[in-house]
Amino acid sequence: MRFVFTRLGKRELVTSLMVVIFIAFFILPFVVVTLKSFSVGWRFPELLPQAYSLNGWQSIFRDPSLRESIVTTLMVGLYVVLLNLLLSLPAAKILSICSFKGKSIIEIALLSPILIPGMLLAMGLQFTMIRFGLADQILGVVLVHLIPTLPYAIRIMRAGYERLGTSLGEQASVLGAGPYLRFFTISLPLLLPSIRSLMLLTFVISLGQYALTAIIGGGNVMTLSLLYYPYFSSSNEAVIAGFSILFALLPLLFIGGVEIVLRLVIRAVNRV
Amino acid sequence: MKIKFMFCMLALFFIVACANKDINTSSKEDVLTKDWNEIAKTSKGTEVNLFMWGGDEGINQYIDEWAKPQLKEEYGITLKRQPMNTEEFMQKLLTEKKANKRNGTIDVIWINGANFKNAKQADLLFGSFSQKLPNFQKYIGTDNQIALFDQGTKIDGLEAPWGNVQYVFHYNSTHIDNPPSSLEELKKWIQDHPGKFTYPNVSDFTGNTFVKHLLVKGTGEKSALMAEEYNKEVIQSGEKYVWNYLKEIKPDLWREGETYPESLTKLDTLYSQGEVWMTMGFNEARAESLIENGTFPKSTKSFVLEDPGSISNTHYLSIPFNSPNPEGAMTVINFLESPEAQIAKMDPTLWGEGTVLNFNMLNKMDQKQIKKINRGDSVLSAELLSNNKLPDLDTGYTEWINNEWAKRILEQ
Repeated sequence: MRFVFTRLGKRELVTSLMVVIFIAFFILPFVVVTLKSFSVGWRFPELLPQAYSLNGWQSIFRDPSLRESIVTTLMVGLYVVLLNLLLSLPAAKILSICSFKGKSIIEIALLSPILIPGMLLAMGLQFTMIRFGLADQILGVVLVHLIPTLPYAIRIMRAGYERLGTSLGEQASVLGAGPYLRFFTISLPLLLPSIRSLMLLTFVISLGQYALTAIIGGGNVMTLSLLYYPYFSSSNEAVIAGFSILFALLPLLFIGGVEIVLRLVIRAVNRV
Repeated sequence: MKIKFMFCMLALFFIVACANKDINTSSKEDVLTKDWNEIAKTSKGTEVNLFMWGGDEGINQYIDEWAKPQLKEEYGITLKRQPMNTEEFMQKLLTEKKANKRNGTIDVIWINGANFKNAKQADLLFGSFSQKLPNFQKYIGTDNQIALFDQGTKIDGLEAPWGNVQYVFHYNSTHIDNPPSSLEELKKWIQDHPGKFTYPNVSDFTGNTFVKHLLVKGTGEKSALMAEEYNKEVIQSGEKYVWNYLKEIKPDLWREGETYPESLTKLDTLYSQGEVWMTMGFNEARAESLIENGTFPKSTKSFVLEDPGSISNTHYLSIPFNSPNPEGAMTVINFLESPEAQIAKMDPTLWGEGTVLNFNMLNKMDQKQIKKINRGDSVLSAELLSNNKLPDLDTGYTEWINNEWAKRILEQ
C-alpha cells in the first residue's frame, strides 16, 4: 500500500486526510462531551456553551455508591477477563490445530450466544441462577458476562493461534521442551497482541452490560452502568456527559494496569 | 497432576466462598400482627434496600442526603438506595416468585398504576400493611381517595402513598401573555399559532394523560366514575368530543400533526429549542430544576386548564413478598410519610414535588411551614392547583386511548 502511495506522490495528502478524519471522528466527540459535562443548557445553534458550571460533576461525585460501583465494575471486569483467557486459550488452540468430526457444530455452538438476544437469555438464566444460589452475587454476574464475551474471546485467540502455526512448537518439542515451557516461551510471547486485544474487548463488553447485570445482579452488584443508565431518561445532559467520560476512562485505566502486569510477567518468565 | 489438583481445589474454594447466604426472615403473618412499637424496635440497626428509578439527581439527593442520615439518627436504620428501572425490578420479582425464592434482596419498591396492578395480580406484594403505619393513620387516613384506588386498582393496603403530582402545562412567557385556561381556549390558541403546539405520542404516559383530559371534558358529569373502574358506557358518552377535538387541532400542530414527539423528553427538547412554545407533564414543580440547569428558558411559567381541571397522579411505596426485612421496610415507609420528610421533599432544590398528606390533618406548625415554602416562580399556587384537581383514571382508559388513537388520529 505504502509503496503505491509514494509512487503516486500523494502519501502526505492521504496521511493528513487520515489525521483529519481521525480527529473528526475520535477526538472531536470527546472534546464535545467534555465541554458538555461542564456546560449549562448548551443548545443547538450555539457554537460554544453560554455558561459553565461544575454541577454535572458535582452530582456524579455526590452519589454515595460511585466508589463502590467503580470498584465492583473493575472487579467484575477483571474476573471476566481472566475467566475468558482461561477458557478461550485451550478452546482456540484445539479449534485452530485439530480437525475432527462435528467441529463446525462446536464452532457454531460457541458462537451462538452473540446471535441470541441477551435479554432472552437473561430471563431464563435468572431462574437457573436462583436455583444455584448464584443470583444477586458477583460470581453470578461474572458468569453471565461470559455469554457476550466468550465468543469474541475464542475468535480472537483462534486467529492468534492460526497465525502462530504449529511449526515453532514442534521444533521446541523436538529439542525436548515440555508443554509448560513451550507455552511460556513460545505461545505466550507470540500471542501477546491477541491477548491484549482480548483483554480490552472483553473488558469493554463487560463494562457495558446493563440488562444482564441488572437482572442477575439484582441491584446488589452495583456496576457503573447500573448507576449511569437511569440518567439517560433525565434531561440533565451535563450529568450524562460526565458519566460518559468516566465510562471511557475505566477501560484505559484497566488496560494501563494490565500492561504493567504483563510486562512484569514477561520479564519474570524471561529470567527463568 | 499435582498442579491440576491444586487448581481444581482453588476453583472450588472460589465457588464455595461465594455461596448463597440465607438470612432467616420472620413469616408474613407474624409481622402484620405485631404492634407498631414492636415493629419499630425490631427494625433498629437493620439495613433496608430501597429499589427505585435513579435518573433524577434531585430525587437521588433527597434520599441520599436528607432521608438517609435522618433515618440513621432517628431509627438506627441504614437505608440503601439501589437505582433500578421499575420494569427490571418487576421482572426480577416475577422470576423470584416463579423460582420460589423466599429471601429476596428488595425491601421497599417505588411503584404505581399499571405496575401496581400487575404486581397485585401476580401476588408479588407483601401484604396489607399501610394501615399499620402511624403516620398514614394520622395524616392520610384510610378513607382518603388516594389510599383506596391507584388508577382504578383497589389498593387494599398493599402500598402506601408517597407523593402526589399534578398535570400542568408549561409555556414560554416571552411568547405568550395570557395562557389559555380551558380546552376551548387552548384549541383557539393552537389555531392562532400553527406549528407551535404538540403533545407526546399517546404511548408516552404524558401524551396519554393529555388525551385523558379531553375524555374527562367529553364525559362531563360522569367523569367521577372514571377513577374507580373502566366503564364502556362512560367512554361512549365522551369519545366523540375527544376525536373531534384532536382532529380539529391536528392540522395546526407541530409538523401538521404528521408526527408526534415519541416521549416527553423529546417534547421538552423541542420546547427548550423554541420549536414549540408549550410543553406539559406531571409534577407541577418539574420546570424549576430544568430552568435551574438551563434546559428550559428562564421565562418558563405554568398553567392548568380550569376546564376540565388537572389530573393528579399519586405514586406509592410498597414491600415485595420476599423482603428480608419487612419491619425495617415499614419503619422506613412510615418515616417517609412523616410531615418532616414530606415537607423536605417539597423543597425545590431537592425534589420539589407535592405532598400526600392531608393539609387539614397537619398541626399548625407544619401547615405554616408548608405555606412558607417557596416552590419557585414557575409553580402555581397550592390553592389554584387543589381547586382544579382531578383524580387519575383507571388504567383501562390508558389502553383504550392507546388503541384508538393510532387508528383514528395518527393514521388519518
